[in-house]
Amino acid sequence: MIRIAAVGDVHLGEDARGRLRPALEHLRDHADLLLLAGDLTKHGTLAEARVVAEEFADLPVPVVAVLGNHDHHADVPEEIAGLLTEHGIRVLEGDSTVVQLDGAAVGVAGVKGFGGGFAGKCGSAFGEPEMKAFVRHTEEVAGRLRDALDRIDAPARIALTHYSPVTDTLRGEPLEIYPFLGSYLLAEAIDEGGADLAVHGHAHFGTEHGTTPGGVRVRNVAQPVIRCAYKVYNLHGHDGSEAQPA
Amino acid sequence: MSTKTPQYAAARLTQALASDPRTAELGVRVQLRGEHVYLVGEVASEERRRHLTEVVHELAPELTVHNEVGVVECREPSTAEELD
Ligand SMILES: [Fe+2]
Ligand SMILES: [Fe+2]
Repeated sequence: MIRIAAVGDVHLGEDARGRLRPALEHLRDHADLLLLAGDLTKHGTLAEARVVAEEFADLPVPVVAVLGNHDHHADVPEEIAGLLTEHGIRVLEGDSTVVQLDGAAVGVAGVKGFGGGFAGKCGSAFGEPEMKAFVRHTEEVAGRLRDALDRIDAPARIALTHYSPVTDTLRGEPLEIYPFLGSYLLAEAIDEGGADLAVHGHAHFGTEHGTTPGGVRVRNVAQPVIRCAYKVYNLHGHDGSEAQPA
Repeated sequence: MSTKTPQYAAARLTQALASDPRTAELGVRVQLRGEHVYLVGEVASEERRRHLTEVVHELAPELTVHNEVGVVECREPSTAEELD
C-alpha cells in the first residue's frame, strides 16, 4: 500500500504563514508522500513562494508539486520553482520523479495543464492566432504529461495537474466556465500514459471524486473542496506485499 | 457604481475581486439582489475575508454587503480513502 497525501490551492501568502504547519506535524503517521496540486500562492510572487517553501520544507516525507495559474500571475514561475526546489520540494512541469518507499516505488508525472474544455464542448485550434495558441498550449502540455507518464519506471504512477482532466470533479462550478477549468486532452494523456490515480486542484467549487473515460480515478484536492489540510489516498496493490490482480 | 443593470454590476465586482491585489480571488461568487450583494466561497485567511467586503464596498458603497465567505479549514484528516 502506498499512502498519498494531497492538497491544492492553499493560496499562501504573508497573511497565511504557518497556517498548514500544525496539521503537517504528524504527516508521517498518515502518508508516504505529499502532493501539492498548484495555486500554492495567491499572486505568484517570490515573497509568497518563500512562505510556501517554509510551510512545506523539512517534512518527513517527500513533497512533489506542480504550479497553478496563480503561481504564474507575477510572471516568475521559474524563480518560484527554483526557490521551492532549494527547499527540497520537487516541482514538476512536463517531467516526472520516482519516489522510493519501503518496498515500493511510485512515479509522479506533473504538469500545470490548461483549459480548453471537454470532448464535444471544447475549443479548436482554428481561426484567430489567439485561439490557436490557446488550444495548442493545452495540446502541448497534455503531450508532455503523456510522455512523462510513459517514461516512469515504477509499478505505480500518479498524474499530478492543476487543471482538471474531467468534468466529474467540476460539479458545483458553473457550466459556462468549464473550458477555463480543464481539458479532456489531459484525461486522454492520463489514460494513454497509464496512471493509477490523477490528482488536480483549481476548481474551488468542484467535487472531490471523478474518473477518466479510461477508468482512472481522479481526485480534486482543492482545499476549499476537501475542507482539511490534505487528503490521504491509500493506493493498494502496487508494492508486491499484496496479490496483484490477474 | 450604477446598479441599474445587475448582470454588469455583478460582473464588475467579480472582476474587481480577481484583479484587486488585496483580494486576487477567482473563487468567490458575487450575487446581486437589489441593493444587496452576497459573497460566497472560501478563502485562506480572516484578513482576506475582510478584504472582500472592503473592495466591494469601495466600488459599490450603495450596496449592503453580505460576506458569507468562509475561511478554509486546515485540520488533519481523520480518515483515508482506500483505492484498490
Ligand atoms: Fe486556486
Ligand atoms: Fe487555479
